[in-house]
Amino acid sequence: MNGDGALPGPDADVPSVVVLPADDLERNVARLLTVGTYASVAILGVGTAVMLASGISPLAGAPRFDLQRLVDDLGHLRPAGFLWLGLIAVVATPAGRVVASLIGYLRRGERLMAVIAVLILAVIALSVGLSIELEA
Amino acid sequence: MIVVLGLIGGGVAAGLFGSLLGLGGGILIVPLLTLGFGLPLLTAVGVSLVCVIVTSGASAGVYLERRVANLRLGMTLELFTAIGALVGGLVAFLVPARFLELLFAGLLAYVALTMARRREPEKEPEVETGDLGPATIDDSTTARLSGPGYRVRRIPLGVVGSVFAGVVSALLGIGGGLVKVPVMHVVMGVPLRVATATSNLMIGITASASAIIYLLRGGIDPYVAGPTAIGVFLGATLGSRTAHRIDIRILRGLFVAILLYTGWQMLLRGLS
Repeated sequence: MNGDGALPGPDADVPSVVVLPADDLERNVARLLTVGTYASVAILGVGTAVMLASGISPLAGAPRFDLQRLVDDLGHLRPAGFLWLGLIAVVATPAGRVVASLIGYLRRGERLMAVIAVLILAVIALSVGLSIELEA
Repeated sequence: MIVVLGLIGGGVAAGLFGSLLGLGGGILIVPLLTLGFGLPLLTAVGVSLVCVIVTSGASAGVYLERRVANLRLGMTLELFTAIGALVGGLVAFLVPARFLELLFAGLLAYVALTMARRREPEKEPEVETGDLGPATIDDSTTARLSGPGYRVRRIPLGVVGSVFAGVVSALLGIGGGLVKVPVMHVVMGVPLRVATATSNLMIGITASASAIIYLLRGGIDPYVAGPTAIGVFLGATLGSRTAHRIDIRILRGLFVAILLYTGWQMLLRGLS
């Protein structure tokens, strides 16, 4: 019933006991997740504020994702630029966590976990590749 | 202006409810956007996936810091949830919206009935929190994936369940904890608290594998996703801080009623 992305609540069967401190790898991954999430939300907040200031209705239909246009939109302080950047940050944060884990496991010499991390990144890369291919 | 505030407000409500009741916002975001704002189901699912990643990111960090989430187990299983999400994300663009609406209506009814029948969880024995060192004690895969005080079992079944969780997540825009937590807890013998925390950790990769497909194929509207994700994040944060002041039983009854109503509306939409 839980574990669907919610922050801890009283009915969530979530850990309520602070246990031993995390090791370096877990601490680094945790920090990356927290910083990435807060940064993403902040960028989305800027985009939403600019959208409000521009008088654009969210239901008007936004431009589709285009990397070249994203740079142009950011340069001209258009809301779509900030919103797309925030969304990319949201989607990239978990992948960044896997990269951090990969580096940590390589340093520890845990080859099996390093291979698993590489395979996860390969699946993500496949998602990107297939989507671009299908759109083309 | 009103629509933006409506999206933020709806997101806050979804995040707050989700946080207080131990659900992600995803289960409410899709009905909110389709029934409340008239958006296509595929767009609503894409936006919901973004919201799910945002809310899981903050909580997963806390679980890792507290060393409750099992990073090794989570990464191993999320390889398979990601594969499922990749397949589900591709299939979502091929199947009729009506099919997904009916599937979602069934999901809402299932969650509502489960919550209505739910009793307060019995106190689970505390997980022993000794050194996380099975990898150095025993080199077998099982030992590596186990944690202090428990040993995982039936890994192949866990793999199958993870693929299924990924497909469901990608098709319906939810985190997939509804599948992952029971699989880890009941099938694999992981303590409920660890299963919940590890599921939260896995949601990021599960949802992002399919969110990428939605993003690159035009299934995410940034004008809708931005305010909604901010709202969900604020609501979930607020919920985690005010949870102790609220009578959950009343809230649960209200939530069940909302789920049944939205499930009925979704069913009508799918049949129309």
